[in-house]
Amino acid sequence: MSSRAAPVPQAQVSVLRDPVLVLPLAVGAGLAVGWEGLHNGISGGRVAVDLSLCWGFVAASLVALQRSRWRRPRLLLAVAGLALLAADLEWFNAPGLWTLGLALEWVWLAVIVQLVLTFPDGRPWSWLANATIVAGYLAAAVGGLASVLVSVDHRDALSILASQSATDTVARARAGLGFAVLLSTLALIGWRLVSLRGATWRAQAPLLVGAALALPLMAVTLAQLTLTNQDSAVNTIARALTGLIPLGFLAGIAWSRLRRTQANDLVVDLRSSGEVTLRDRLARTLGDPTLELAYRLSDGRYVDESGAAAVVPDRPGRAVTMLTARDEIVAALVHDPALLDEPGLVESVRATAGLVLENERLAAEVRAQLAQVRASRARLVVATDEERRRIERDLHDGAQQRLVAVCVALGTAAGRAQGPTRQAFLSAQDDLEQAIAELRQLARGIHPTLLREEGLDAALDGLAGRTPVPVRVEGSIGVRLAPAVELAAYFVACEALTNVVKHAHANAATVHVAHVGGVLSLSVTDDGDGGAHSAIGGGLAGLRDRVEALDGTLRAENDPAGGTTICAEIPCAS
Amino acid sequence: MRSLSVRVLIVDDHPEFRAATRELLEDAGYLVTGEAAGALAAVAAVAAQAPDVVLLDVQLPDGNGFEVAAQLSRDGAGPVVVLVSSRDAEDYGRRVARCGARGFVSKSRLTAATLASVLR
Repeated sequence: MSSRAAPVPQAQVSVLRDPVLVLPLAVGAGLAVGWEGLHNGISGGRVAVDLSLCWGFVAASLVALQRSRWRRPRLLLAVAGLALLAADLEWFNAPGLWTLGLALEWVWLAVIVQLVLTFPDGRPWSWLANATIVAGYLAAAVGGLASVLVSVDHRDALSILASQSATDTVARARAGLGFAVLLSTLALIGWRLVSLRGATWRAQAPLLVGAALALPLMAVTLAQLTLTNQDSAVNTIARALTGLIPLGFLAGIAWSRLRRTQANDLVVDLRSSGEVTLRDRLARTLGDPTLELAYRLSDGRYVDESGAAAVVPDRPGRAVTMLTARDEIVAALVHDPALLDEPGLVESVRATAGLVLENERLAAEVRAQLAQVRASRARLVVATDEERRRIERDLHDGAQQRLVAVCVALGTAAGRAQGPTRQAFLSAQDDLEQAIAELRQLARGIHPTLLREEGLDAALDGLAGRTPVPVRVEGSIGVRLAPAVELAAYFVACEALTNVVKHAHANAATVHVAHVGGVLSLSVTDDGDGGAHSAIGGGLAGLRDRVEALDGTLRAENDPAGGTTICAEIPCAS
Repeated sequence: MRSLSVRVLIVDDHPEFRAATRELLEDAGYLVTGEAAGALAAVAAVAAQAPDVVLLDVQLPDGNGFEVAAQLSRDGAGPVVVLVSSRDAEDYGRRVARCGARGFVSKSRLTAATLASVLR
């Protein structure tokens, strides 16, 4: 498998420079901080929550190693875990560590805000998301620095303006800004969840839902701090809930793996499938309703499953994954770029669908060739009609004009002559007039003028008037249709009425014509002995080719009680 | 022989037909006031010559006889228009009756008698 949108080179799978070192660091530092906390009166619950969060964030970042596009989120997960631990340096009595802990107290939350609002590719979702991230870091950094400068605690190593009221003011301002940042974050998460679709939604939803569940209580905590500047048990619970974020992250990965297993079952699905197309099955398996499947023909063109020409796009917002069989590209999957976060999933599809894809590709190629043949046949009909029209005009403008001039001249000569000479002129004029009539009939059969000038309704009326048996025309079109459609319908009526006259022994015939729902329907029914069209043959066989070239149908129906109906249906637009 | 006062304009783009028709009409006693080879020329000739009858071909290089007939018959004071064509009237359907012409004569059947029957 190859991918044009985002190649996944294995060399990139090393984001945290040495992931092995991160975990011992987090565990060792966590144990040290936890021990110090317990030793200095921090509750066991709070210590357990913070250590669990720290290790949970770091562990989640290591589990996601195989997702190269999630490099930034992985980094932020680890940083959030370590920053949380850094905030707990406040549990130490050593002034340096305590001061550092106070300064970094809320940095971990700012990192989480950045993690969520830049998930999964590391870029802020929007300018508002960017502003929210900046505001979060501003509240954490400036607020932390201000706190250490005004703190009245004796462990503060950097206090230069120790003031209780200033300490309260700074704490409230920092919590208030943090509260606003979290509200904005929650609003952005909500909007994101309702606007995402398909594979993108599936890839991001677990973490976002985790954040949406976790952050409201943290916002309550900050609101409480803003109003009262008093820490409470709510803070511990809120911190514990942020564990839903790495859990959501891990749930997304588990979901992806589950669907990879489903993809491995695809080959069974492919064999047992009914009328569902391969594209639909792939779309369902990959969870991407927007997925397009384009087969690559031997000449390099791409077609869809119906054989129609397809375009493999090279534009932002769509990713293309080439599927190969026996080292040859057989198809292109055009899909949501979010699927690239799950390379194993697409790889599973490639492995299981390879043979089927090859067969489907061949079928699509046959359909494409069939479509070409049909288009070519339709073009031939149009070209033939145009040629008929040209021949009819040539006959009219050339031979017919000269012959009628001679005919008129013979009439003049007859008028000037007497006796046998006059009779000879008149006889010649009669013969010539008969020849001209036959020529006119021939020209009309090649391309009827009335049809060209007046349309099918008038042409059918004219045809009915010329037919030796009584013909009633029912219905009308009312509009002009494509010339090839009008001509095909007219010729069907001509041939059917010719058969009625020659073979049906009918007393009357009816031509019914209608144009409904973009389909022209024409039927010719007689009251004869029913043997006129026992099968479509002779002239009607050629007409069936013409009708089918226009995607229409032509059939004969014999009534057991007598009579025959010839029906033609031709799709058309007026 | 018809009255010498019947003045006829022949409109057709084929000179052989115009020449043969002129002879036919003149032998029958009609006065051929002129000939025109197209629609615009026909309208101009009618204005200039004021013929009683226009023998008008349906298919002209710069228009068709139906439109010219409708134009000439619009105010009811124009000449009598007789359409001629190498095709049959049935090849044109209802347009023959709608255009304002007095009648239609197939060119191969054009004689003094058929013309007289239309003008009668």
